[in-house]
Amino acid sequence: MSEEAKLSHTLVVSDLSAKQRMWGPRSTKNRESFFHDAAGPYASPSSLRTTSKTDTRSPSRQSNSGQRKPTTWLSFPLEFSFSTTMVGPTASLSNLSRADGSASFKCPTTGYKILGSVNAPVELPGRRDALKPEEATVEVFIKPGNTTAGVGERYAEGIIRTMLQKLILGRERGFPRRGVVITLAIVGGGAIARGDSYLTLLPSLLHTSLLALLSGAVPMSMTYSAALMAVSKSNVIVSNPTLVEAKAASSLHVLAFSSKGHLLLNESQGRFDFDTWKTVQQRAHALCRGVELPEVDGDIAMEAQGDSGTAEGFVRETVEDHLCRDYAWKINTE
Amino acid sequence: MSKEAPLSIAEREFILEALRQDSRLDGRTPDQFRPLKISFGDEYGHVNLELGNTSIIVRISAEVTKPRDERPFDGLFNINLELSAMGSPAWENGRPNDVESYVTHVLDSVIRHSNALDTESLCILKGVSCWSIRADVHVVAYDGNLTDAACIAVMTGLQHFRRPDAVVRDGQVVVYGVEERVPVALNITHKPLSVTFFAFNESKNIIVDATLKEEQASEGELVIGINNGGEMCFMNKFSGATINAREIVTRTSVALEKVKDLNAQIDRAMQADLALRAKRGMAEESRAENDR
Amino acid sequence: MATSAAAPASSSRPALSLPPSQFARLQPHAYLLAHLSPPSTNNQPSIRANGRAPTQFRVTSANAGSLTHTNGSAVVRIGDTAAVCGVRAELLHTEDIASWSVSQATSSNKSPRSADQTEELGEQDDNETIERERAHIEDLNLLVPNLSLSTGCAPGFIPGSAPSSLAQSLSHQILSLLHSTRLVRADDLRIWYQPPSMGPEELERHNDEEQMDVDTAQNDPVEESPREIKAFWVLYIDIMIISLAGNAFDAAWAAVLAALRDTKLPKAWWDVDNETVVCSDSISDARKLSLRGLPVASSFAVFEADAAAGWRAAVIPEAAEMKAQRLARKGGVSERWLLADPDGYEEGLTQERACVVVDKDTDGKVIILKMEKNGGWTIDTEDLQQLVDLSSQRWEEMKRILDEC
Repeated sequence: MSEEAKLSHTLVVSDLSAKQRMWGPRSTKNRESFFHDAAGPYASPSSLRTTSKTDTRSPSRQSNSGQRKPTTWLSFPLEFSFSTTMVGPTASLSNLSRADGSASFKCPTTGYKILGSVNAPVELPGRRDALKPEEATVEVFIKPGNTTAGVGERYAEGIIRTMLQKLILGRERGFPRRGVVITLAIVGGGAIARGDSYLTLLPSLLHTSLLALLSGAVPMSMTYSAALMAVSKSNVIVSNPTLVEAKAASSLHVLAFSSKGHLLLNESQGRFDFDTWKTVQQRAHALCRGVELPEVDGDIAMEAQGDSGTAEGFVRETVEDHLCRDYAWKINTE
Repeated sequence: MSKEAPLSIAEREFILEALRQDSRLDGRTPDQFRPLKISFGDEYGHVNLELGNTSIIVRISAEVTKPRDERPFDGLFNINLELSAMGSPAWENGRPNDVESYVTHVLDSVIRHSNALDTESLCILKGVSCWSIRADVHVVAYDGNLTDAACIAVMTGLQHFRRPDAVVRDGQVVVYGVEERVPVALNITHKPLSVTFFAFNESKNIIVDATLKEEQASEGELVIGINNGGEMCFMNKFSGATINAREIVTRTSVALEKVKDLNAQIDRAMQADLALRAKRGMAEESRAENDR
Repeated sequence: MATSAAAPASSSRPALSLPPSQFARLQPHAYLLAHLSPPSTNNQPSIRANGRAPTQFRVTSANAGSLTHTNGSAVVRIGDTAAVCGVRAELLHTEDIASWSVSQATSSNKSPRSADQTEELGEQDDNETIERERAHIEDLNLLVPNLSLSTGCAPGFIPGSAPSSLAQSLSHQILSLLHSTRLVRADDLRIWYQPPSMGPEELERHNDEEQMDVDTAQNDPVEESPREIKAFWVLYIDIMIISLAGNAFDAAWAAVLAALRDTKLPKAWWDVDNETVVCSDSISDARKLSLRGLPVASSFAVFEADAAAGWRAAVIPEAAEMKAQRLARKGGVSERWLLADPDGYEEGLTQERACVVVDKDTDGKVIILKMEKNGGWTIDTEDLQQLVDLSSQRWEEMKRILDEC
């Protein structure tokens, strides 16, 4: 991509996210004015960062919202309960003092909250056997919130490690013979029992790892985004299913896409055929990256929602928000 | 890194000299704790605690299990602490270290063995089923005084936690979800906390709530576990420089004062949270628990 | 293994001054690459260093019932990888299950016991049955697979070490596949008791229960003496990889499958007088498990010509660009190969893996039960389609092998 094209791309992004802000409750001030508004400090407290990434694009999601667990509080107006069931993930960066990089991520549909930390590059004296002379050793450790770690954690660690090993530029200066240690603690949500599927937790873990790596400034060749999809017994594709929906589904899929559109990871289990998977893959791609949606009715509207409603857009906005806060001193004095 | 970066000689000297002149790096008095911040998660028994830069998350969980054969009337209670690289780069994932076993030992002595949680109240059906309460301590950032912080966090979690109600009907235990019956608080018999003292300059300076740097510069430590009523349940002076016996007696009264103050802070945080929960209403609470 | 296979390749290349075995050790990547992309002058097909075509699996053999003290066992060899699986069945009395006498008052989460109260004899695969199956097999942990990589199965495995994370994650994969394919029927593992006629005392107790337990008692009131589950069979599935030369999962899963097909459970019933479960000694009374389907696993690895592509800080092309490049090169030299059933040598040279588990229903329609892909970005949708096709061919082959054993 040429430099010009890149520039225009980022411009489009910030412009569109500004548009998104107009109807999102996150911040009434749009980013454009924020950058140039000398008087406006970044006042939004982190608790208010619960963006409502309403997933209006995904038709299946809407058609299935009826199947969702009925909310018990009927006294509230309908649209209110609607907006809370559709609330998007929340995340924050660099919230730990001792780790090189850290992030917390909360997925509202599954209820999982993950705290992740990255130490890199770090000496691993106890692991001399595993240290490779040419590149960094990636270590992933998952700490369940209220059980002891078992085989399931080792399995998920393996998946995340294999995926990140390829993305982290472990041959950069200072990294060979050292370790990239990623620790993920499940600090909210239920426990995963022995032999239960780990897939419901995987996207949250992947997103937390990515944000923590970004926060720790670990060099990576690409970023990524992940999505959990379920195919119900009646062959309806549910994006971001709840735990109840996931348990009842006939097949579960976790897909991760790189920021350049490659399929980085696919974990599917259950009973399905290849055509179903292809549809799931397209839906997940749209959910993660917001392009390639079959029904396009007006480019601009599509893209506007696309960037901010997608998992990738979410990661980008989280990092941008964090940068804005970090550089508030600079922005405000300009 | 398998060890905390050691203090430089200059740093050590500075800390010691400052203490000789009765001042600490962060301007606290010797008997002053760092600011304590307690907040709660969505679930009951989820505590986020910050003591200065030391940060701990505690999660309490309950499940129905079979009681031990030799103690059919008792429920189970365990405190689980596993240090990970998140808290400090010096800790390696999946490798237990000395700090871990030491803190676990203090927590067990102060809270579990002093029977702060009445395990007999956890029995549902004699010899058949009982509650197993599990406290998971996640050390998220380590900047000294892990034991006291973990003690406060676990005790807060136990007081905050609500277990589902369970009823026995014809040998069948029925567990009610939180939306059906108001969940039950645990039976806390007393509220012991630990206070760790660090000694410097041949025990002439003794301080509470040391930061990591102060811990590294210290010569000896003394741990006192005591409850609001002034009853001691744990005391440890196992290593380091000698401390005058009379000093220990005076420190015990300092500890009592600290524990009363800390317990009052816990109570305030609990009341604030309960008020908030009441305001948000029952429905909101049940929503948070639904995913269990 | 590489030496013999390399002989023909080296003969066509007299300039090579090192013996092939040393070349294979010194420059493993270049060695495999040289095999896979022969010079266009001689019309040799692309071949792997072990002599196989890229999509060819190793010779597989299976032998069931080789261990005498198990309820079922099998040895599966895929090339030099060998897995032994033994299934041991043990009784689990319901009174020993902590959660057995516990029921959740919420309708969504029934107790394991209440699941049996509505049990029907007919085995239909409706949602209700599936839920009940899940309640028993998954919640009570009736299937306990454990995989161990035995000492010396590969040079890295030394005695006395804790289970490696590879062994643990393979154990999890097998357990999770057993659960998600619902291979074992819960009904095969239940030991029922049918009270002949209910005593007045018992009847009263039963009625009490029914009145009180409004939430859980769903059984038909006209039913006179309901059967109840007294015990379960727990299947301890121990897998031992005695020789590891790549692709442990396929071998382990095939061994589990063959062992479960071989497993016979003795006839067991509840003895009222002794209040215990009694098993029959006679072999004729024992019955086999009736498994659901025949899921077969096939693993693949991707070998990339430019091994450095991943770690060089170079800009990685967009997915669409990459595909266009690949299409443009079609017919020419490809830059990456899909290798079926990678051996240990190849596993060391590849990062990207894929694993497909397929089954075929009675009409021959392919059902995918698990599809994984990780560790890289070259496999796209078309490749996965191709892998599924290869896996369904492999299914036929494995079915033949397993039927014969």
